[in-house]
Amino acid sequence: MTRIRRAISEVGEAFRITLGTLASHRLRSSLTTLGIVIGVATVIAIVAIIQGLNSSFEESIQGFGTNTLYVARYRWLDLSGEYWRVRNRKPIGDRELRAILRESTVAVATSPTVSVAASVSRGERSVERVNVNGVGAQYLVANGGGVRAGRFFAESDSELARPAVVLGAEVVDRLFPGMPLEAVLGQRVLVGGHAFSVVGLTDRRGRFLGIPMDNNVLIPYTTFGHFFGSKRPMNIAVAAPPGRVAELEDELTSILRKARQVKPGKPDDFLFNRQDQFLKFYQGLTGALYAVAVGVGFITLIVGGIGIMNIMLVSVHERTREIGLRRALGARRATILTQFLVESALVATMGGAIGTAIGLGVAQLIALLSPLAAAATPSAVALGLGFSSLTGLVFGSWPAWRAANLDPVEALRYE
Amino acid sequence: MSETPLIAVDRMTRVYRVGEEEVRALDGVSFDVRRGEWVAVVGQSGSGKSTLMNLIGALDSPTSGTYCINGRDVEKLSDDELADLRNREIGFVFQTFQLLPRSTALANVELPLVYRGVGRAERRERAVAALEAVGLSNRMHHRPNELSGGQRQRVAIARALVGQPSLLLADEPTGNLDSATGEDIMRLFGELHQRGNTILLVTHEPRLAARCPRAIRLMDGRVVADGPGGEVALLGVAPAKVSA
Repeated sequence: MTRIRRAISEVGEAFRITLGTLASHRLRSSLTTLGIVIGVATVIAIVAIIQGLNSSFEESIQGFGTNTLYVARYRWLDLSGEYWRVRNRKPIGDRELRAILRESTVAVATSPTVSVAASVSRGERSVERVNVNGVGAQYLVANGGGVRAGRFFAESDSELARPAVVLGAEVVDRLFPGMPLEAVLGQRVLVGGHAFSVVGLTDRRGRFLGIPMDNNVLIPYTTFGHFFGSKRPMNIAVAAPPGRVAELEDELTSILRKARQVKPGKPDDFLFNRQDQFLKFYQGLTGALYAVAVGVGFITLIVGGIGIMNIMLVSVHERTREIGLRRALGARRATILTQFLVESALVATMGGAIGTAIGLGVAQLIALLSPLAAAATPSAVALGLGFSSLTGLVFGSWPAWRAANLDPVEALRYE
Repeated sequence: MSETPLIAVDRMTRVYRVGEEEVRALDGVSFDVRRGEWVAVVGQSGSGKSTLMNLIGALDSPTSGTYCINGRDVEKLSDDELADLRNREIGFVFQTFQLLPRSTALANVELPLVYRGVGRAERRERAVAALEAVGLSNRMHHRPNELSGGQRQRVAIARALVGQPSLLLADEPTGNLDSATGEDIMRLFGELHQRGNTILLVTHEPRLAARCPRAIRLMDGRVVADGPGGEVALLGVAPAKVSA
């Protein structure tokens, strides 16, 4: 009981001493913490930006369809150089699509995608190099996304190869500036020089990995084949019911091997892309950024910590007689140790708090002035404060130890 | 049946090593101090009085011999126990006051109670009482640089008294004061003695030692005289003059 009360009153005294010291050495204290301030601010800003990127990335990847397999010849984001080995694979086309539609029992939605870059125009206004996608009626179910006005294609649009088009948000912005969405429906536009009628408008999707996602139009893939040729390589999106993606993959593998006449014992000449590949790729990327941030933070904290150690040694030296007096009045070694540890931890934590505030401010500024997002998470704040106080404790321990082990007689007599 | 003395020093020796040389700062000193006594330790510089004071104050340990305070053998105590012993048994008064410059008189006086774990309210109450006892009730919230030398030493004495220690240990308490103020402080010690405090006054001035009921004279680390203050103080003057 008395031990606890004594500890409380000693820590209280340590805080009083520290606040007194900070108040009387304002310039010195602020210069001391500068290293920590800069270090923590840098790390917090980087972490806030990375976390902001992560959350905006995860948001935009939601639109990709989590349970969907994308049948393709090549891997997305191929970093292994695999392309040179697989570049001669047969294209995927109608035959594979029909096989999947006919034989798959697990698939809940299947849609092909064929693409070409073409101009889309209306009267005087024209948008060049729009991504024109020929898709199936189940495209939105398989690939994710929605329609904000009008309707999507029906099976009949595909069967009859109707000249119907669903416009992406950016194309709408540029061809019909200021026009109400409902008024856009039914308008005529030229896609690659061919007349189409607008039946629907897709949701605005923003950017993904810096690529604009709204500069596109969708038309039935049969219509696409009619106007742009049917030999273009196809991707097929196949959606599984929740939790049955692996089952779908097995089923599609056997369907496709048969359709593409892959001999037994030969490897598959196709593969399945999945949206979580992006997530993994992206996590790898931000993981590297994190490592850099941690490295930078570590180095600046060491530099800041050395600054603190230096000033604490000065402080101990200056207060040698005070230490002697406190020992004479009954302070134990541990008491003196605590006193100086509290001081260095408090100074460092204050620097950390200031640095956290500055770092978050910088991150917000960057978010305002650039397309990068920034998120201030409580974990970043806790990290900044935690690491700075830890730095104070670690680098304050040697000066504090020296103070605690001064000989009281020598210390009292010190001039 | 004799009462145990407050301080029992028995053949105490303290040897310092200075390079190759050994300096015997204290060389077999023995004496007792009973409760309520006012004793001066007098001697010229280099006589060993500072060393003796450090040992009595439990700031240092003897090379050989024993020192007991309140029946406890100081040599057997750990560093923490020595700190607690200083906190409870000894009230230091220094020549240079040793006040914390940025703290008020009240905060300075409270300090020993902080290290004893006394609660804030009680600490404040006892510090106020101690400052009143030395006649400084109107200067409690002043910082040392706003106080005169005599007032500072009174704050230091209040700090020494606040924990109600067994022994007041004063090291040249008037050394940094003019003679009139020094006289005030000596009168204050007289009053404290009247109230039953045990006081050990370390000084090089025979004039001050003469005012104490008992004085111990040190020379070259040995006790050369121990008796009524007036006599011991005078005794000291003659040989010093002869040797000079």
